[in-house]
Amino acid sequence: MASIDIAGITKNFGNIEVLHGIDLDIEDGEFIVLVGPSGCGKSTLLRMIAGLEEVSSGDITIAGRRVNDLAPRDRDIAMVFQSYALYPHMNVAGNMSYSLRLRRTAKDRIAQAVSGAAGKLGLEPLLDRRPKALSGGQRQRVAMGRAIVRQPKAFLFDEPLSNLDARLREQMRAEIKRLHAELGATSIYVTHDQIEAMTLADRIVAMQGGVVQQVGTPLDLYDRPANLFVAGFIGSPGMNFLPGRYDAAPGPAVILADGARIALPLDPGLAPGAEVTLGIRPEHVALGESGGMEAGVDLIEPTGLGIILHLSLQGVGLKAFTADRGVLNSGPSIRVSLPSAHLHLFDSAGNRVALR
Amino acid sequence: MTLAARPIEARPLMRRLAIAWEPYLYSAPTVILIVTVMLVPLVVGISYAFRDIQLLNPFSGGYVGLAHFRELWQDQAFFEALRNTVWWTGASVALQFFFGLILALLLNVPFAGRGLVQALVFLPWAVPSFLAGLNWAWLFNPVVGPLPHWLFALGILSSPENILSDPNLAMWGPIAANVWWGIPFFAITMLAAMQAIPADLYEAAAIDGAGPLQRFGSITLPFLAPTIAITVLLRTVWIANFADLIVVMTGGGPADRTQILASYIFTQAFKRLDFGYASAVSLVLLVLLLIYSLLIVALRQTVLNRS
Ligand SMILES: Nc1ncnc2c1ncn2[C@@H]1O[C@H](COP(=O)(O)OP(=O)(O)OP(=O)(O)O)[C@@H](O)[C@H]1O
Ligand SMILES: [Mg+2]
Repeated sequence: MASIDIAGITKNFGNIEVLHGIDLDIEDGEFIVLVGPSGCGKSTLLRMIAGLEEVSSGDITIAGRRVNDLAPRDRDIAMVFQSYALYPHMNVAGNMSYSLRLRRTAKDRIAQAVSGAAGKLGLEPLLDRRPKALSGGQRQRVAMGRAIVRQPKAFLFDEPLSNLDARLREQMRAEIKRLHAELGATSIYVTHDQIEAMTLADRIVAMQGGVVQQVGTPLDLYDRPANLFVAGFIGSPGMNFLPGRYDAAPGPAVILADGARIALPLDPGLAPGAEVTLGIRPEHVALGESGGMEAGVDLIEPTGLGIILHLSLQGVGLKAFTADRGVLNSGPSIRVSLPSAHLHLFDSAGNRVALR
Repeated sequence: MTLAARPIEARPLMRRLAIAWEPYLYSAPTVILIVTVMLVPLVVGISYAFRDIQLLNPFSGGYVGLAHFRELWQDQAFFEALRNTVWWTGASVALQFFFGLILALLLNVPFAGRGLVQALVFLPWAVPSFLAGLNWAWLFNPVVGPLPHWLFALGILSSPENILSDPNLAMWGPIAANVWWGIPFFAITMLAAMQAIPADLYEAAAIDGAGPLQRFGSITLPFLAPTIAITVLLRTVWIANFADLIVVMTGGGPADRTQILASYIFTQAFKRLDFGYASAVSLVLLVLLLIYSLLIVALRQTVLNRS
C-alpha cells in the first residue's frame, strides 16, 4: 500500500516530447483510471511508473521514496499487461510463483500465497496447465493472480480487459472491483472503455496529447467537464455541442447560429457577443414537448435500453436519448427543447464556464 | 438423378485402373527424380563398401563381403581418426555455439550502427572454406603470420613456432579456423530466434524481480532450446564431415594427429585410390552420425513435448 506522487513528468522519445509535464497525486489505496484517445501517452505514463521507460524530467515518488532511478524490481509494484505476458513454458502455478521464487521465499509460504490467490480468482483447477492450454479469460485471471501473489505496493493495469469479449469483460470488471475492495491496494488502470472508467475509478484522469485535461471523480467529469475535450470524451453517446454567441439582455442567453435564443440559468459574466459553445447531453434533450424548437428526425437507433435519435436542428446535428418508446412512431419532425438546468457552457478557448 | 445411380462395376476396366493409378502417376516425376539423385548414389556407394574397388588395379571389383570391415577393426589409423573426429567436432561445435550465442546476445541490444555490424558479422560465412584454411595456415606461420608471436608474447607458447607442426597442438589450428568460420551461423540463427521472443515477457520478468541473468535463464534459454537443439545437430553432422580446413591446413598431419574420418576417407579414396575401403569407412561414419541425429531429435521432441 502506498501513495504515488507524480510531479512535472515529461517524456521524450528522441526529440519528440509525448508527455508534457504531468502532475498527479495518488492517495494510498486509491483506484485511478487513465483515459484518453489512442496515442495520448497513457501507456507511456504507466510504463514510467513501472520503471520500464526512463523519466525524461520530473519526479516519481512511491510511498515517499523517489524511484526515478530504481529498477522495476526495486519499486515493489505489479503490472498486468494487455497481452498478459504469461511465461509460456511455466504452468499457472509457476507463473504465479515466479516472483516469489526469485525472492527466495520459503516453499510453504509460496504454496500458501499461490493457493490464496488461486482461490480468490477461481484458478485452483488450472494450476498445472500451461498458458497455451487456457482460454483468454483464464489467461487474464492468471495475469491478475501473478500480480496479487506478492502483495505489491501498487497495481498497474494497461487495458487488461481489452482482449476479452463483452460479457467476460463485464464479469472481470466486477471481479477487479471486488479484488480492489478486498486488497485495498493503490491501483492505476488504463482503459478505453467508458463503463470500466466510470464504474471502477475513485478518480478518473482524462488525458489528451500528453497533457492531463481533468482529474476528478467519475461524476465530476460527467457533470462538470472542465473543457470541450473532456465533455466530448466522457459519456456515450457523446455530448451535443451547439456553437453560438452570448447575449446578456434581456436575460443571459445563447443565440444559436439560426437565431434561436436559449436561456441560461444564470449570468456567467461573459462579454456580450462572445463566441461560446453550448453543450447538452443526449439524455437531457427534452423531446415532444409543446413549445421548444422544431427538429428533423434523421435516424432512429433503438438500443434496447433506450432509443438514440439523430436530429437536425436548423442544420446542426443533435443527438437525443430517451427511454420513451413513443418516439419510435414520431413523424419526420419532432419538437425539442434544451432545459436550462442541464446546459453546459464553454468559452471560445473551450474551457468550462460555470452555470451551476 | 437417374444417371448418378450407375454402379461402379459397370465402369470399364481401363478406367478403373486409371483412377487407381492416378495419384502415383502425378507423383511419379518427383519420386523418380529423388530416387535417381539421392538413393542411387547412396546405394552404389554403400555397395562399394562390400567390393574390392581399387582404381589402379584392373582386376579389382569383386565382392569381398565384410573383409573391409574386418580390416577396419584392426586399423589403428581408423580409431585414431575416430578419436580426432570426436575431438574436432566437439570442440568446434562447442566453441562456435558459445561465441555465436554471445555475439547474438550482443547484437540483440540496440545500438547505433547495429544493422551494419549485423551484416559484417555474416562475412566469414561468405569466405570459401579453402581460402579460409589458407589464410589461417598463413596466420599460424611464424614467417608471415602474427599469431605465433602474439601467442608467445602472451606466454601461451614457449617459443614463436608454428602450432600446425606441433603434434600436440596442431588440431587447435583447424579448430580455430573452423570456429572463426562458423560463428556467424550460430549468431544469426540464435539472433533470429531471440528476436521472436515477445519483449513484454522480459518486462514482466523485470517487474517480477528477475535480473539479467535470471531473465536469460528463465525466458531466453527456454525459447532458444528448440533452435539450439536443431542447429547443434545440423552443425555437428556437418562439421564431422567437413575436411576442407584440415586438408588445406595440415593435410591430416603431423603424424596423423589431425586426421579426422572425413579427411581419412579423402586420403584413402583419392590418394591411395582404394574406393572400397574408403566406402567402408564412410558407411561407419554415416551410421554413427545417424545414431547421433536420432538421439538429438528424440531429445528435442521430449523438450518440445514438455512445453
Ligand atoms: N518507443 C517509442 N518510440 C517513439 N515513440 C513512442 C514510443 N512509444 C510510444 N511512442 C509514442 O508516444 C505516444 C504515446 O504512446 P502511448 O503508447 O503511451 O499511447 P497510449 O495512450 O497508450 O495509446 P493507446 O490507447 O493506443 O494504447 C504515441 O504518439 C506513440 O507514437
Ligand atoms: Mg496504450
